[in-house]
Amino acid sequence: MAKEPVRVLVTGAAGQIGYALVPMIARGIMLGADQPVILHMLDIPFAAEALNGVKMELVDAAFPLLKGVVATTDVVEACTGVNVAVMVGGFPRKEGMERKDVMSKNVSIYKSQASALEQHAAPNCKVLVVANPANTNALILKEFAPSIPAKNITCLTRLDHNRALGQISERLSVQVSDVKNVIIWGNHSSTQYPDVNHATVGDKPVRELVKDDEWLNGEFITTVQQRGAAIIKARKLSSALSAASAACDHIRDWVLGTPEGLWVSMGVYSDGSYNVPAGVIYSFPVTCKNGEWTIVQGLAIDEFSRKKLDLTGAELTEEKELAYSCLS
Amino acid sequence: MQKTSEDDTKHPTFRGVRMRSWGKWVSEIREPRKKSRIWLETYPTAEMAARAHDVGALAIKGCSAYLNFPELAKELPLPASMSPKEIQAATSRAAASTRIINSSFNTEMLSCQWTGGIEAIVARLELPSRLSWFLGRFLALYSMAKDPVRVLVTGAAGQIGYALVPMIARGVMLGPDQPVILHMLDIEPAAEALTGVRMELVDAAFPLLRDVVVTTDVTVACKGVNIAVMVGGFPRKEGMERKDVMSKNVSIYKAQASALEKQAAPDCKVLVVANPANTNALILKEFAPSIPEKNITCLTRLDHNRALGQLSERLKIHVSEVKNVIIWGNHSSTQYPDVNHATVTPANGEEKPVRSVVADDNWLNTEFITMVQQRGAAIIKARKLSSALSAASAACDHIRDWVVGTPKGTWVSMGVYSDGSYGIQPGVIYSYPVTCDKGQWSIVQGLKIDDFSRQKMDATAKELVEEKTLAYSCLN
Repeated sequence: MAKEPVRVLVTGAAGQIGYALVPMIARGIMLGADQPVILHMLDIPFAAEALNGVKMELVDAAFPLLKGVVATTDVVEACTGVNVAVMVGGFPRKEGMERKDVMSKNVSIYKSQASALEQHAAPNCKVLVVANPANTNALILKEFAPSIPAKNITCLTRLDHNRALGQISERLSVQVSDVKNVIIWGNHSSTQYPDVNHATVGDKPVRELVKDDEWLNGEFITTVQQRGAAIIKARKLSSALSAASAACDHIRDWVLGTPEGLWVSMGVYSDGSYNVPAGVIYSFPVTCKNGEWTIVQGLAIDEFSRKKLDLTGAELTEEKELAYSCLS
Repeated sequence: MQKTSEDDTKHPTFRGVRMRSWGKWVSEIREPRKKSRIWLETYPTAEMAARAHDVGALAIKGCSAYLNFPELAKELPLPASMSPKEIQAATSRAAASTRIINSSFNTEMLSCQWTGGIEAIVARLELPSRLSWFLGRFLALYSMAKDPVRVLVTGAAGQIGYALVPMIARGVMLGPDQPVILHMLDIEPAAEALTGVRMELVDAAFPLLRDVVVTTDVTVACKGVNIAVMVGGFPRKEGMERKDVMSKNVSIYKAQASALEKQAAPDCKVLVVANPANTNALILKEFAPSIPEKNITCLTRLDHNRALGQLSERLKIHVSEVKNVIIWGNHSSTQYPDVNHATVTPANGEEKPVRSVVADDNWLNTEFITMVQQRGAAIIKARKLSSALSAASAACDHIRDWVVGTPKGTWVSMGVYSDGSYGIQPGVIYSYPVTCDKGQWSIVQGLKIDDFSRQKMDATAKELVEEKTLAYSCLN
């Protein structure tokens, strides 16, 4: 174990996604089987005892890669020296809550956490926002942590990306690892656009193999968009396992690089590529190398896709305005 | 044989093969004109490691590769050029060549030490990108060509199941190159939740997960399984008497024994997690007589890991520096966490007995023991839920060490069918210190047992005999 340990922060760590995520991190799924880690776990005082229970279990699991655990309700202690920050904590939507209320609660949380991260995290800290509204929470975090490079602040659409791969693999009865290069465009919400126009199985385009454009343009899209709700309906709980797994995939590919010829979807600070709004966190197809992501350029966008890209872009612009109005 | 500074021993005849100090063989290949080595997997025999070397050598050096088995490698097609198309074609043909693959791996569980993910190894090498793509793909296909192992999890819709299945699907249980097929069983009221778990497994796009079988039918669940992790059982509810809990669980394990015996693959390895774990495992053994008794075990690895964790916290050292605690007996509050043979080995340091390093026999004989015994309750108190994360992790450790083998000089604790070792009554499932090799566990014999330990070991044995009697009375 010659490598220096990497400090990984998980906020909202006492919750369901945190509970699924921390053993994955401790086993090397996020950063590699030879990368020691120190876990920082943050949650609110109300959850302090439960958080301590998670820490106890991490000790009880005797993980060889886990070099330390910091369990705290203090955001400064939580952020100190972290190299990777996975922001799972947020205010969940409760029955009867208006969209503006959810947005308002989360905007305050992400504004204050931005501050702590900026001041205490290690240089070049990589940030992944999971808590919804993920794209806008990430944007607020970026706006209030100006010394964190914008390229280091991302949000999770890898879950939707993996869900899209899964749906295609089931439709075609192929191994999911044989399906490549779907794209999730836009917002991690019901306006996301799961695009298969550049996806392949082996060297054949998915559209050719599926031979059902109506399904690909209709049911496939809504299935992926609404998968979260379908999981809640079946489990009576939201999708912790697959979200945690996708968070590991997102960070791992970002840090270790994507294989050649393969891209993944990440919510990143938009530079206006593909004529989507700049200045929002928008999910794009990206490749990763040397710890940096790069948007895959030059993909042909047909009319159908154009509309979808614009629709989700418009929603992100609205969310940005709503978020700012909450802060005023 | 030459010795290297890493205490490996070079093989006298095979190129690129070294023996680790714990007796496994690792294959390596040097990158041309560089000092760096590409580490391939670890194998139980030198011959397998030598074949793996050949795979890598062909990938790197092509026609000029020195091969340990040139006659076999002639069947490996060489790419005519380094163009991606040629490389891809050669990779596909090589992967389809079953002679190399089947001659190296038998149909039993694979005994390959987990040395790390292939992509991680290849990514670190900074090879020219085409070369690293080829090597990674070639190695991935070579290892992905392994037949999938079928793993059953009962009670899969519950908390432990939910923590366990992603670990299995990521290769934590059997290694990052071992494809798996998950069988998940639960009761009818949990059918929709179980489907939800299946949906999430699809949504996670796990490369190693070849298929998921979800069912409420125990016959379907058990069909062809190589490993069975029995998490499902009747939980104790408030107001329930011990006899009631025992009664419910005994019926469940009797029924499942039958199905396992008839449907599982030969040599299926069984791990019982649901409490009362030892007695559930015993009932399962009694009603599945054609399953070898050595294949039926119960989980005390959680307690073992907890003991390691407590020592590491006490000594403020990393848990990987402590080893060879023992959990004796029943996975209950009578378990005996024994440190008399445990040692601490700091990095670059000497191995020392835990007792002398802790220097507090009173703590080791009292508080340490009760902490480990009652840790489950402490977790419930803190989380308001029981310890799913650590139980699932321990289940993976238990199976992995059983299948892959324990490192030399290290033992683990497993609940196994007692043969009378250490004066314990035969015919109960009792937790012992064991080493594992080639898919089999063996009780570590000849350890000195002092009076204090003797009493504890007997007390937990007595409880197991009582549980056995109670269980049988429920069946009549």
